[in-house]
Amino acid sequence: MKRTFYLDLAHSRLRMPIGTHLVLAEQPDHDACLEDGEKLGQVMIETARRFKTPLAFPLMDLMVEKQQMLSMLDIPADQADTFHFSPGPDPDALDRVRAAISRPVIPRLAVYADAIRHVAKEPDILPLGMAIGPFSLMTKLLADPITGLYLAGTGLTRDEDEEVAAIEDCVALATEVIERSLKLQLEAGAKAICLCEPAANLVYLSPHQLAQGADTFERFVMQPNQRLRQVLADHDADLIFHDCGELTDDMVRAFCTLNPSILSLGSSRQLWQDAAIVPNDIVLFGNLPTKKFYSDAELPVPVVEQMTRDLATRMAETEHPFILGSECDVLSVPGREQAIMEKVMAFLAA
Amino acid sequence: MPRIDEIYEAVSKGNRKVVAEKVQAFVDADGDVVDLLNETMIPAMRDIGDKFSRNEVYVPEMLIAARAMQAGLNIIEPLLAAKGHKARARVAIGTVKGDLHDIGKNLVAMMLKGAGYEVDDLGVDCPVEKYEEAVQNGASVICLSALLTTTMPYMKQVVDHFKGRDDVKILIGGAPVTKEYANEIGAQGYGSDANDAVRALEQILSAA
Repeated sequence: MKRTFYLDLAHSRLRMPIGTHLVLAEQPDHDACLEDGEKLGQVMIETARRFKTPLAFPLMDLMVEKQQMLSMLDIPADQADTFHFSPGPDPDALDRVRAAISRPVIPRLAVYADAIRHVAKEPDILPLGMAIGPFSLMTKLLADPITGLYLAGTGLTRDEDEEVAAIEDCVALATEVIERSLKLQLEAGAKAICLCEPAANLVYLSPHQLAQGADTFERFVMQPNQRLRQVLADHDADLIFHDCGELTDDMVRAFCTLNPSILSLGSSRQLWQDAAIVPNDIVLFGNLPTKKFYSDAELPVPVVEQMTRDLATRMAETEHPFILGSECDVLSVPGREQAIMEKVMAFLAA
Repeated sequence: MPRIDEIYEAVSKGNRKVVAEKVQAFVDADGDVVDLLNETMIPAMRDIGDKFSRNEVYVPEMLIAARAMQAGLNIIEPLLAAKGHKARARVAIGTVKGDLHDIGKNLVAMMLKGAGYEVDDLGVDCPVEKYEEAVQNGASVICLSALLTTTMPYMKQVVDHFKGRDDVKILIGGAPVTKEYANEIGAQGYGSDANDAVRALEQILSAA
C-alpha cells in the first residue's frame, strides 16, 4: 500500500483496538474457529467492522512460529509450550530447519493463512498478517536468555561461552522460521505484517550495558528484523512494528529505521514525546493501558475516557500522524469480558 | 563479623567466578558461613534489589548478581545445613496454570533465595494441586505469578483453595496484577516487583 493510506487513516482520526481476541471469545464456537480458516477470517472481518477500521488484524498468537519450528525439528507438539533448548540447539538444527522449509506447515499456521485468504476477498478491508519477531521468539526457546544476552554484551564470543552460542543459534533459527511464516501469510494475501517484538525491552537488554557500547540490541534485534523487513519489501508489503515493552528512546529510533508504516508502542511510552523522535511518515499507534482494562478498581470507565481525551489532545498538539488505540492486543479475560469491551467502546467514543 | 567487601562487591557486580573463589577461600580458612551469609551475601543482594527498585539497575544486572550469589550459596549451603542453620521460611513459587511466563517468577525466586529463604520453584503452568503438594512438603508461603490478564483469574482459584487455612499465606504478583486485585481475591500479600516481593513476604511473616 502507499504510505498515504496509513497517513490518511491517521488524519481521519481513526481509533481502534487490536481486538480480534475479544471478538473471538464472543463466538459460541470459538475453539472451532481456531481450526477453520474461513471462520477465523470471518472473526477478523467482524472485528474490523465492529471497531470501524479497514485494518483486519489476525490473532496475536506469538507461539505459533515456535510450534512450527519444533515441528521442523521433529520435537513433539505437546512439548511446544514448555520446550527449551539446553544449553542450545544442536549444531545441525539450522540445516534441519532449512531442509524442512518446503514441508507443509503445522495446521494452526495453515489456518491463520486461510483466515487471511478469506479476509482478502473483502474489497474494503486490508488483510494483515502477524508474526513474532526473531528476538522475542529466541526468548521463548531458552530457559534463561537474559544471562546469555548479558554475557554476549560483555564481549564474550560463542566459542568462549555456550550461552552466547545458544543466543546466536536461536536467533538464526527464529529468523529462518519467521521468514517462512511471513512468506506463507504474504502468499495468502496479507498486505502488511504486524511484527511483534515485545521482548526487545529493558527486561532482556540492560540499558546500562547498551550505553557502554554493547552491540546486543543491534545484533540480536535489529539485524534479524532488517532481514525480515527486506522480505516484506520484496513482496511489496508493509510493516506494522509492535513492541509494548519498556524501551529507551534509542530503541524507538532504531525501530524507525525499519521504516514501518505504523509503529505500535506500549503504555510505558509517552507518545507525544515519541512524536519528536519518530519521522512524520510513520504513524504512531497506541497506547492506552488496555492490559489493565479488566480492573474496574484501577481503571473505571471515566478514567479511560479521560485518558483517551488527554492522549488525543496531546497527540493533536504534536500534529504527528497517530491512531489512538490499545497498547497491545486486547485479551478477553474470563469473567471480565463485559468490563473490557465497555472500556474499549468508551475509548472509541470519548 | 564485618562485611567482606570483596565478596559483597563481587555479588553486586555479578562476578560469579570471583564469588566462588573468595567464598571457597573463606570456607577453607574456617570462616563462619552463617556470618558470611547474613553480613555479606544477603546484604549484597538486598542492595542490588534496592537499586532495582530505584531503577538504578535492571533485570539483567539482577540476574547476573543472583547467579553470582548462587555460586557462593552452592559452596556454603552444605555447611549451613551441617551447622543446623534454618532458612527464614520455606516458600513455594510458581506461575499459575495456563501461563508459561517465568522471568518474573524466576527473579522473585532468586531474590527470595538471596534474602535467606528456602525456595521451592514449582515452575510454570501450575495447577492448584501443585501448590497444595508444596504446602504438604512444608511450604508456609505460596507465591503466585501471572503475566497474562487471561491467566490471572486462576490466582483466585488458588486463594479460594487455601481459604481458612492458617498454615499458608499467599503472595501474588505479575505485570497485570495490582494490590487492589490482591485485596479483592483475598491474597495476603502483593509484590509490585521482585524486590517488593521480598518486602511483602517479610511483612506477611512478621504479621503472622
